[in-house]
Amino acid sequence: MGGGMERINILLAGVGGQGIITMGKMIGNAAVNSGIKVFVAETHGLSQRGGSVQVHIRIGNVMAPLIEKGKADYIVGLEASEALRNLSYAGKGTVFILNKQTIKPVVPKVNTPDLEIVLQRLHGFRYYLVDGERIARDAGNPKGSNAVLIGFMVGMGFFGEMQKKAFEMAMITDPNVRCFNAGYAEAMTAKKTDAPEKIVTG
Amino acid sequence: MMPKAKFMIGNEAIAAAAVHAGVSVAAGYPGTPSTEIIENVRKFGPDVYVEWSVNEKIAFETAYGAAMSGGTGLVAVKHVGLNVASDPMFSSSYTGITGSLVIVSADDSSMWSSQNEQDNRFYGLHALIPVLEPYDVQSAYDLTLKAFEVSRLFHHPVILRTTTRIGHVRSNVIYEDHHEPLRGKVIKDPNTYVLAPENARSDRKKQLERWREISDYLSSLCSYEPDGGDSIIITGGISYSYLKEALEDAGIHTNVLRLDATVPIPESAILNHINGIRRVLVVEENDPVMEMQVADILLRNGKAVEFHGKDLIPIEGEMTFEKLKAGLFAFFGMKYSGSYFQDEPLTPRPPALCPGCPHRSSFFDIKKGLSRVSMQNSFFSGDIGCYTLGALPPFREQDSATNMGSSLGISNGVFRSTDQVPVAVIGDSTFFHSGIEGVANAVYNNTAEIIVVLDNRSTAMTGQQPSPSTAIDIGNVCRAMGIEYVETFDPFDVDAGEKAVQQAAEYVKKTLKPAVIIAKRACALEVLEKVDSETPKAYVDSNRCTGCTICYDFFTCPSILPLSNKKATIDDSCIGCGACVEVCPFNAISVKGEKPAGWEEAWNA
Repeated sequence: MGGGMERINILLAGVGGQGIITMGKMIGNAAVNSGIKVFVAETHGLSQRGGSVQVHIRIGNVMAPLIEKGKADYIVGLEASEALRNLSYAGKGTVFILNKQTIKPVVPKVNTPDLEIVLQRLHGFRYYLVDGERIARDAGNPKGSNAVLIGFMVGMGFFGEMQKKAFEMAMITDPNVRCFNAGYAEAMTAKKTDAPEKIVTG
Repeated sequence: MMPKAKFMIGNEAIAAAAVHAGVSVAAGYPGTPSTEIIENVRKFGPDVYVEWSVNEKIAFETAYGAAMSGGTGLVAVKHVGLNVASDPMFSSSYTGITGSLVIVSADDSSMWSSQNEQDNRFYGLHALIPVLEPYDVQSAYDLTLKAFEVSRLFHHPVILRTTTRIGHVRSNVIYEDHHEPLRGKVIKDPNTYVLAPENARSDRKKQLERWREISDYLSSLCSYEPDGGDSIIITGGISYSYLKEALEDAGIHTNVLRLDATVPIPESAILNHINGIRRVLVVEENDPVMEMQVADILLRNGKAVEFHGKDLIPIEGEMTFEKLKAGLFAFFGMKYSGSYFQDEPLTPRPPALCPGCPHRSSFFDIKKGLSRVSMQNSFFSGDIGCYTLGALPPFREQDSATNMGSSLGISNGVFRSTDQVPVAVIGDSTFFHSGIEGVANAVYNNTAEIIVVLDNRSTAMTGQQPSPSTAIDIGNVCRAMGIEYVETFDPFDVDAGEKAVQQAAEYVKKTLKPAVIIAKRACALEVLEKVDSETPKAYVDSNRCTGCTICYDFFTCPSILPLSNKKATIDDSCIGCGACVEVCPFNAISVKGEKPAGWEEAWNA
């Protein structure tokens, strides 16, 4: 195990409790299933309770666990606005995958972040907006938006030589596999119609 | 034995290696980023004795005692936990051990879940205990095995020092699952283990002898990777992994020396690779522990080189490519250009007390109860636990929280210097960890203070490990220690909570003696783990809701959200605890749905 595959840096950003550590585990397991080296760096403890959480995933010919700023290939906002909090990890070619969900910080007298504003700030980047909650609900697992987003990314071909099967094996539960496949199907539709893809050039 | 492979975090790898090395007694106190080590020992070795001790000192002594009797002991704690255990740790280096003793110090660089980022390699230098440092997840497994081997070989404790990105990084680890716990037998050797001055003096000589032998042995625990030129980079721990990748990517050719034992650094390890070298860079995370030792070796051996370390690599925070490359490139006269974009300065999203958390209700009750006696501006002497989040708005009921058990000692000092009655707030697990002595002191020295114990029946912050409060009644402990005023209340009962706080405050003001009130209700996450079926849900009656904002701005349950017309709504994250029902002055909130079996029992565990 080791090199043999180009390096992929994925930063997952979200809110503690959304299943972001599980999402990192699932992607990591898929890499292991593919025989490719992977590091998944998590933060535990207090970060799990409604706070901002980041998971760094590095796949391929890598030695260190954290992504260098400016070098993320993909930034996933499991909560859309959290992607912005990690903009320093983006380079000009970074692709954003945003879950169409914003969560109010548990702070008095603060509003839920506005999705439109989040998208405005990403002006100039290539991004995809995925309605993970709806797709997960329709697939029968309301908590499976993390698996939906993985399915979408696999469908878009973001994981190089890693096979769909390797991801299905990494989904832990059957409802997650259904969510994964629903996300995958969403990507297939998106590729045909270009519907949820937004590429805005500045 | 066929090797196996498993995708696991570094802490699991350490647990697996400890079991493989024959650990028979493993003890710790939960603390991020160390917790999963003790949790996983049992998984890999079901016949190992595993214990969550009441604090790190007891955990250390437990593993030390096992090693004293010839067994294989493991103690795993976070960096500040080792401060608590430092007393027996210094002794263990004097006495040595008959079996083996490995101390895992999980240091939290960047303070992801800690009050500081102390570099515990200094304990190695201070106590004369060798320190091994893994550089990735696989080496965490390999060097844990090595640590037990060194300990058994030299009858001396060994520290395995990890940082967050070792213990909490997941990777594929190749390991073996052979194990047989090496247990001890009663050995009577008081001349070694009773540290009376005469024995201690003789132990001291033996300790220094072992230290020299260990130092010689450790010179083999390094990897020299020559790649030409007159420079060498000396590194260890996670920094090695960043360095190797950075050198490869930038196409820099230089000699690299990785030390797996960063304390003590033997002279030979450095001198063997220094011929023809004119420039040295020491790359390490946090403090200049390697740098000081290497500089000392070079100086004493008359090696005049251009020497760099913390002038190029920052002390503060965990190692990153940005920090490493800035220093590394400067060393080679190159320029590092950082990232192009900056993080958006959004409203901070601090962690929050969970839906159903009894601490939220306690803070709400405390504030209201103290207001009744005009004490809402009291000094809140806080402590370490989920309830430290009570420092945040809207509660602001933690004015200090400096270390485990600090609430009682700090409140005593605040009272002595101000004559104002303080409120000490401490959790149940922290109470038994190091708060209990503070209660004794409050009685002994007669401190006028309100002690609020938030008893959620759990060591919750680190993932609901058990708490001694489920075996020992805190009220009885306080009464037995001489606290005359002890009351217990249910934090979900706002009226009772307010009243309990008010009456305790009145008692303290009148008698100038300490009072203890115990807010008793189980951690909501623990309750959810105990019930199988759906929980009830709370609903807002929009006809009754006036948009007064109390439930979402002053109680701040994450499940209660404001609508655009300021009225409240409750989302799917609600667990139906019902704590908000009494909080609403307009009776607009009600709980609907069946309570699952065991619901009340779980909350009142």
